[in-house]
Amino acid sequence: MNSAVLKKTMYWFVVPALTMYLVFWIYPILRLFQYSFSDYNGFVQDFNYVGFDNFSQIFKDGVAGTSLTNTLIYTLVFVVFSNLIALGLAFLLNMKIRATGLYRTAAYVPTLFSAIVVGFIWSYVYMPDSGLIATVLSWFGFDGANLNLLGNYDSALYAITTVDIWKHIGTSTVIFLAGLQTVPVDLEEAGKIDGANAWKITRFIRLPLLATSITINLTLSVINGLKAFDYSFIMTNGGPGRATSTLLFEIFRMAFREQQYGKASALAVISFALIIVITSFFVLKLNKREVSA
Amino acid sequence: MINKKRKLSTILASITVLATTVGLLSGCGSSDNNGETGKDGTKNVTLTMVVSGNKAADGQDFELDVLPKMVNEKFPNIKLEVQKLPDDQYNTSIKTKLAAGEAPDFFRVWPRMGSAASIIDLSKAGYLADLSDLPFMSNITDGAREDMSNDGKVYGIAKGIDMLGTYYNKDLFAQVGITEIPQDWESFLAASQKLKDAGITPIVMGDKDPWWIQFGAYQLAANTVYSADKDFDLKLQTGEKKFTDPTWVKAISMYKELYDKGYIAKNTLGLGGPQATQMFIDGKAAMIFDGTWDYPTLTAQGAASFERGFFPLPGNEKGQPVWQAVSTAAGWAVNAKTDHLEEVKQVLNYWFDSESDLFKEWVKLNPSISAFNGVPLNNDLYKESYELYQSSGNSSYFANQMWPNGVADTLQVKFGEIIGGRKTTPEDVASAMQAKFDELWKK
Repeated sequence: MNSAVLKKTMYWFVVPALTMYLVFWIYPILRLFQYSFSDYNGFVQDFNYVGFDNFSQIFKDGVAGTSLTNTLIYTLVFVVFSNLIALGLAFLLNMKIRATGLYRTAAYVPTLFSAIVVGFIWSYVYMPDSGLIATVLSWFGFDGANLNLLGNYDSALYAITTVDIWKHIGTSTVIFLAGLQTVPVDLEEAGKIDGANAWKITRFIRLPLLATSITINLTLSVINGLKAFDYSFIMTNGGPGRATSTLLFEIFRMAFREQQYGKASALAVISFALIIVITSFFVLKLNKREVSA
Repeated sequence: MINKKRKLSTILASITVLATTVGLLSGCGSSDNNGETGKDGTKNVTLTMVVSGNKAADGQDFELDVLPKMVNEKFPNIKLEVQKLPDDQYNTSIKTKLAAGEAPDFFRVWPRMGSAASIIDLSKAGYLADLSDLPFMSNITDGAREDMSNDGKVYGIAKGIDMLGTYYNKDLFAQVGITEIPQDWESFLAASQKLKDAGITPIVMGDKDPWWIQFGAYQLAANTVYSADKDFDLKLQTGEKKFTDPTWVKAISMYKELYDKGYIAKNTLGLGGPQATQMFIDGKAAMIFDGTWDYPTLTAQGAASFERGFFPLPGNEKGQPVWQAVSTAAGWAVNAKTDHLEEVKQVLNYWFDSESDLFKEWVKLNPSISAFNGVPLNNDLYKESYELYQSSGNSSYFANQMWPNGVADTLQVKFGEIIGGRKTTPEDVASAMQAKFDELWKK
């Protein structure tokens, strides 16, 4: 260990980072597990341990079921559409057309705004009667007044997912675009010489070589979908009823509206486990499919 | 030699590391020390206050602008810093601050158990200072003082009294020939039908903000539940009564009827509070259920100009008296762990001394009806309702004030399903409320 490059003393420099990590990250997580077995209400410091009551209550309420279903639907729709659209856009923006820089910027602009701003603006876009969509529809003679996307049980979840997709596309596109530009030109040319058409080149050369970008994008969007909170909070308040109440929103509602920190912690523990399982499944599965140029 | 050098560097490195770590950690827990003692013995103190709500739309905001200025004029050694947060953020942040021991000297509290930061919850946890011995207490009406008390001690000062009611557009009512304010449920439905037949939206609500649902529900509950049994909530707590009681189911069914018959604007689940009030002041809807605290918003000038009126939603049978939902408003409490209790009391005594300038200014800018004896009603709009409240005694507090937090939330979520056209029945709503109540009322 007496290396000339890495002296033993250097290990001391890990201490500040490690302390921060332990104090602000590991310790709170351990407390979360502790609270999940208690009836802590968030501000009275003496609380009792109630065993698995919180967990069983969550399942008895049906809260776990509803919010889990909502989250999974949200994630699925989000992953599929944000990646398909982003992939298509990346192919378009990779073509030799005029002013690609402008288009690339345009695709990235929505990501620049904070979720609060985006959610607020889109609430007005969706508003019945005088919102943007309703107004445009009534120009064409449709009944815009009755289009109530956020206030309808069947459409609210999809309406907020759409906003997230719209905001997220720029990020995914940039990653796909970067991936596309690493595809070696000589491979494509070799394909052309062998008589492959544009579709075949895309299917058999570009897509397999994009596998790394696909893994990154899918993983990021799966995590993003499972963590969905912002738009339920800003645009619908989890409503109507519990139609847009995702796991994280439900945790928030339990802790801060109903003052059941213990129960909220229990749900947090459940979603913690769930997110880890789903994400690692994804990463392992996708990693196997990657090839390199 | 080499060995010595290494030892030195080890020491140096550990010192650096320790210093940064200590610096980082101590940075988080620094306590603010603002008690500087001047030469002449008067202490310069900074008091902090956090309240909830929105900044006054126009003119001076009492809590943000007037109060700190006038306090400082009277007590040059006291500086008051006020922060105003929207209700939701306020509730979240005040509890965190209290738990962390970083709470402000004054803060907003709600009567009984009415909200996340309520008198009963907070005083039980030992966060509120006992204000019973302050001289102006005898000047506050008994009801308002009791609502801000727990175990016989007064912990808060109410902003005033608030009433729930129906704001209506007098011009639209006259236009369709409604000459008299509805006095019972039947005539209320008839009036709504008349408006609807004339192509006017009878009622608009901002149900996208779920708490809005309570504004109608509690008025009806006052007429069906609390008119029959004023102590319903006490019996609920002992288990003698349940939400599934026919009177509660009736209140929910009556509310549902308004939606079923199309008297409440379509698509309210897509309308937030601000959008709903906008529709009312623009003259696009004839009525809105809301409370006295929204006076400035609902009397603002919209696209149409018309005369406003206010009446309690009559959920009563023909021939029975109307019951109103009238309640003590939110108010201020003092942090039990404040370092400046003396100065805090000085400020309170000045503020609520009915002779002082600050008190007069406060009365002028306060939209709620005053809970102090001898202060006349500010707004003519509420005159009739207020007189009815004083003369008849037929009133109950806002129903959620005796429930643990979360029951009202269940009411909103479940009733939202009814508005959204799900197959939820009023019985479902009632039993979900009971289930939530049982879960939360363990202790």
